[in-house]
Amino acid sequence: MIHTSTAADPTTTPPPGTKRSTYFYIAVALISLIGLADATYLTIEHITGQSVRCTIVAGCSEVLSSKYALVAGVPLAMIGATAYFSVFSLATLAAFGYRFAGKLLNVLVAFMLLVSLWLIYLQAFVIHSFCQYCLLSAAVTFVAAALLFLRWRNS
Amino acid sequence: MRRILPFLIILSVLGVALGSAWYLKRSASSQPASGPSVSSNSTGSTKPPPPPLTAPGAEPPHAAGPANAPVTLEEFGDFECPPCGQFHPVLKKMQEGFGDNLHVIFREFPLAPAHQHAIAAASTAEAAGIQGRFWEMHHLLYDNQKTWHEAFDARPIFEGYAKQIGLDVEMFKRDINSDLVAHRITEDGKRAHSLGVSGTPTVFMNGREMPFATIIDEAKLRTAIQTEIDARKR
Repeated sequence: MIHTSTAADPTTTPPPGTKRSTYFYIAVALISLIGLADATYLTIEHITGQSVRCTIVAGCSEVLSSKYALVAGVPLAMIGATAYFSVFSLATLAAFGYRFAGKLLNVLVAFMLLVSLWLIYLQAFVIHSFCQYCLLSAAVTFVAAALLFLRWRNS
Repeated sequence: MRRILPFLIILSVLGVALGSAWYLKRSASSQPASGPSVSSNSTGSTKPPPPPLTAPGAEPPHAAGPANAPVTLEEFGDFECPPCGQFHPVLKKMQEGFGDNLHVIFREFPLAPAHQHAIAAASTAEAAGIQGRFWEMHHLLYDNQKTWHEAFDARPIFEGYAKQIGLDVEMFKRDINSDLVAHRITEDGKRAHSLGVSGTPTVFMNGREMPFATIIDEAKLRTAIQTEIDARKR
């Protein structure tokens, strides 16, 4: 089977004037790598039990040893790592003109934004402790959401 | 090529992420297996000699169990650290189960300012120690960790504990701010730093740092101690 130009494919063809969108998607993909690294590190720390210890540099033990650090037995950090990998994948595909990926990316980041707000609320008002790794993750989500919002306003 | 390029990028990132995860897990699992000896009184002649730069810590240390026991556990703890509170009942069970085969040393490692009452709690235990009631206060502090951790001012609670275990409260209140108490905490801190301790609870078994996943799990810790006892008696 011979593939012809992708210009004829409506799922991958970038609409006219989307060059700026591409830059936004690339920025989202790059920033999501920070979230992926952060969440991967936390997942391994959780699995090996290291994250639960109290340390001089990071006061994360209260947060990471709380019941909110697990969702149905799965470390929240692992779910976060999966989410950031999905964001990276979708942003990369969107940057290459896959329009469905852009739509899915908006939904996913919006959901992650809500989860991040909820987790900050838990740290501030329920656990009464902040974990800087969790705050970094939230910051990544906020920046990704802001970039997608700017892309939407500019498009 | 343009069609498969994004998938190649995605797969590359997935590979790097999984590889990093594998490397991190491997590094964490193979924690330092060698460390300085913590008990010069133990009978085991095969223990590695302490490196010259290891600080001795407060003397005499707070210890429970015979000094010549085949296994010495040296804990660096912070009374306000929740995982230390979780480790406390596990350690108590080990002491009950292994009896004279276990020698336990507690070292102060208050993580201030991360824990606002940590230094006051360490001072409380040390002040109780001056009156020979360190372990009673140690148990009370861990058993009631949640109560005083959430208090704005924990000192009145600590004074209540002092009364509860029969201390001379006036002496206790003086000792809390004494140079001796401060010196003991500082000396334990120096030992912690010389051993590379960065968090709590950190436990050394006959001089070897134990993985956190082992000490927090009752069954794993029991197996590790038993294996060490068997090795010493062989």
